[in-house]
Amino acid sequence: MKKIVISAICVMALVSCETQQSLYSWYDSEDATYTYTKRGTEETLTKAMAQYEKVINKQKGLRKVVPPGVNAEYGYLLCKAGKKEEGLALLRAEIKAYPESEKFISRIIKQLEK
Amino acid sequence: MKKYIILGLVTLLMSSCAEQITRVAQYPKMYEEKPVAIAVMPPINQTNHVEAKDYFYTTLYAPLCEKGYYVYSPMMTMEMFQSESAYDAEQFIEADLSQFRNVLGADAAMFTIIKSWSRSKIGGKLTAGVEYILRSTKTGETLYRREGLISVDTSVNSGGSSLFGALVDLAATAISTAATDKVVAGRRCTVFVLSDMPEGKYGMLYDKDQQKPAGKSYVKATVK
Repeated sequence: MKKIVISAICVMALVSCETQQSLYSWYDSEDATYTYTKRGTEETLTKAMAQYEKVINKQKGLRKVVPPGVNAEYGYLLCKAGKKEEGLALLRAEIKAYPESEKFISRIIKQLEK
Repeated sequence: MKKYIILGLVTLLMSSCAEQITRVAQYPKMYEEKPVAIAVMPPINQTNHVEAKDYFYTTLYAPLCEKGYYVYSPMMTMEMFQSESAYDAEQFIEADLSQFRNVLGADAAMFTIIKSWSRSKIGGKLTAGVEYILRSTKTGETLYRREGLISVDTSVNSGGSSLFGALVDLAATAISTAATDKVVAGRRCTVFVLSDMPEGKYGMLYDKDQQKPAGKSYVKATVK
């Protein structure tokens, strides 16, 4: 009986204070982006891009989709690095995945297409 | 004896997860307006640490995404804010926010005010006092507001118990506190304070967390 009570308490504890699993896998993308925006070197850009690739292709989070803004950021950087078509495709992918981003991303696409 | 242990455990549970006020009672406008897209405003820095603003800016993005919101990339909005002289969020905190709705399509803007920022070199502890204010771009109303004084332990533990191990830890801590660890600490602070924020459209508990407990509007804590 006591065992049941104790295990019930443990279950209660787990339910009431559950820790949430991540919606997305971020890897080191945030730190890499931060370092790139601070230093702006080729090396930091390469590192940031590698992290974006990982976030886009290896999603293990609950939603199993690319997090908000990542396709857009990577696409934007690719455009700046001269890979315009690839970059624009990613920016469009952002709008497709997150329609609420359309106003802002369309603006960016227009600027980049000029 | 066992009875007392069980009673103690139950009391501990009740006190650690005590329900004070529900999220719907604390943040009713979040459930009324249901914002989807959030623009992160550059932090308002009230400290003497100039770099705190930069450190903190990027740390808001992932925790808000993890709460189920669409968050505009701070890297991209920052360029826009800077080019349109909007990098100082002070001018917007009480102003009309409709332009962020018109230009970005944002439903709400997240303002942060960094009130204190200090770190101990030896202990590897960073303490940040930050207020988070989410305002609607539609109505201008405050949807969410919470303030935290959070100490983040950024120390590194090699697991060694010897004097040498302790020295290694001390050196590693000094390095980690000097580098991007401040970004990590800022993020942990944000995650902790925003833990009671109602979830957004992409969250697993979207529109299901009304009865979950909300935290106190001012929170003081130490997180690892």
